[in-house]
Amino acid sequence: MDRALYIAMSGAKQNTLGQAAHANNLANASTNGFRSDYTQSRAMGVFGDYFPTRAYAMTERPASDFRQGPLVETGHSMDVTIEGDGWFAVQGPDGQEAYTRAGDLSVDADGRLVNGSGLQLIGDGGPVVLPEFQSIEISRAGIVTIQPLGETPAAVAEPVQLKLVRPDLQALEKGEDGLFRFRDPATPPALADPNITLVNGFVEGSNVNAVSELTSLIALNRQYEMQVKLMKRVDENTAATTQILANQ
Amino acid sequence: MLNALWVSKTGLEAQDLALTTVSNNLANVSTTGFKKDRAVFEDLLYQIQRQPGANSSADSRLPSGLQLGTGVRTAGTQKIFTTGSLQLTDQPLDMAINGRGFFQIAMPDGTIGYTRDGTFHINNEGVVVNVNGYPLEPQITIPEQTNQLTVSKDGIVQATLFGDPTPQELGQIETVDFINPAGLQAVGGNVFYETAASGAPQVGVPNEEGFGTVEQGALENSNVEVVEELVKMITVQRSYEMNSKVVSAADQMLQFLTQNV
Repeated sequence: MDRALYIAMSGAKQNTLGQAAHANNLANASTNGFRSDYTQSRAMGVFGDYFPTRAYAMTERPASDFRQGPLVETGHSMDVTIEGDGWFAVQGPDGQEAYTRAGDLSVDADGRLVNGSGLQLIGDGGPVVLPEFQSIEISRAGIVTIQPLGETPAAVAEPVQLKLVRPDLQALEKGEDGLFRFRDPATPPALADPNITLVNGFVEGSNVNAVSELTSLIALNRQYEMQVKLMKRVDENTAATTQILANQ
Repeated sequence: MLNALWVSKTGLEAQDLALTTVSNNLANVSTTGFKKDRAVFEDLLYQIQRQPGANSSADSRLPSGLQLGTGVRTAGTQKIFTTGSLQLTDQPLDMAINGRGFFQIAMPDGTIGYTRDGTFHINNEGVVVNVNGYPLEPQITIPEQTNQLTVSKDGIVQATLFGDPTPQELGQIETVDFINPAGLQAVGGNVFYETAASGAPQVGVPNEEGFGTVEQGALENSNVEVVEELVKMITVQRSYEMNSKVVSAADQMLQFLTQNV
């Protein structure tokens, strides 16, 4: 049997994987702080004892799109967005430091400062826990100041500085839980960057570009159809060969 | 079957839920003491199809792998406890809390419900009750010959009776506060219940220790902003359409395959 059939089959399969990546981007078009994923195809030569004439396609995710998403005004004093590059340091489900752009903050029953996904934010003194407060203010520099319950506005509690970092984007990678971590797990946690500023009363929307996702979707759809057509052609060729040989 | 089909299904579900939230907010645009909801989404887990750094041949490595996301998940809906605007009604039993705090309502099942809706009435026994007829906690009974009823900013209810110039003190309205009001469970009827996420209620006196004042003759409007909700509705609708486009694209691919092979 001609190997063209298998090449077309693997091409179609890789197209469906690419399709899944774009579908995931579109499904997260309204996830706060979401970073869309890029996909690309790579030609992978599989060389045997014969002439190297065939290469298979392979879909891969080279990186995520780090461009800033739209700022969505909420007017809620605990919604914050990072201006430009930068990340909130949060404690990931594994207890290790991870980075996210989702700044829809709230305080849970234990006083922990968490974002919309329930991940605790890290401050200058480790994970942030706040005492009961009457009002809360998050400044442009990421300083959380609270007015404890029953105190006058003058008696503010010890402010907490949120850990905001700006590591090299090349070194970051999206993990299985959607949080960003260093690609090399041996890298020490990023140092806080005092130059990062926050915008209060806004959340950052998803940076998914619907137009480009839908366009890629169409392109992949048609490419897939071409692969299937090719499979059909190979089938016809084989049928013709069998028929001719059978008539001999 | 195609991953894309299931991934976009999660997207459709999420947008469907977002629309429910928006429509509920809009429906309650003039509900006294209503607090708007916001749907919070997060990306579902990612599956590693091919590990980055795997060998591509005996002495070369792949620079990047393939990690495919599996869609979107609703992390939850969050109640936004911003204060609504106060509306003056001049009704003696209408009360609004200006600042932090909730009124306590004795529910028929014996539990305590919490509300920001201060539309109170008097029932046939003279007890102060909410719109549904559940008494305010601690209970306050208003005598029959009451001429004028006054509620002070710190929640003291006083009445002047016919023929008696000195006001009588009828009781003290106590309000409660929660460390995380967003974690309260809304049960309808403008009432919230305590949950593990909200923390235990702290009972206090209005206008003391950070509790808001009680304003007689005023009601707190819903904090829903119509423009915001309508804009949200547009984005929800379009995202829904885009996700359904993916479903139909995946469907076409499968159809094409079954027809041609």
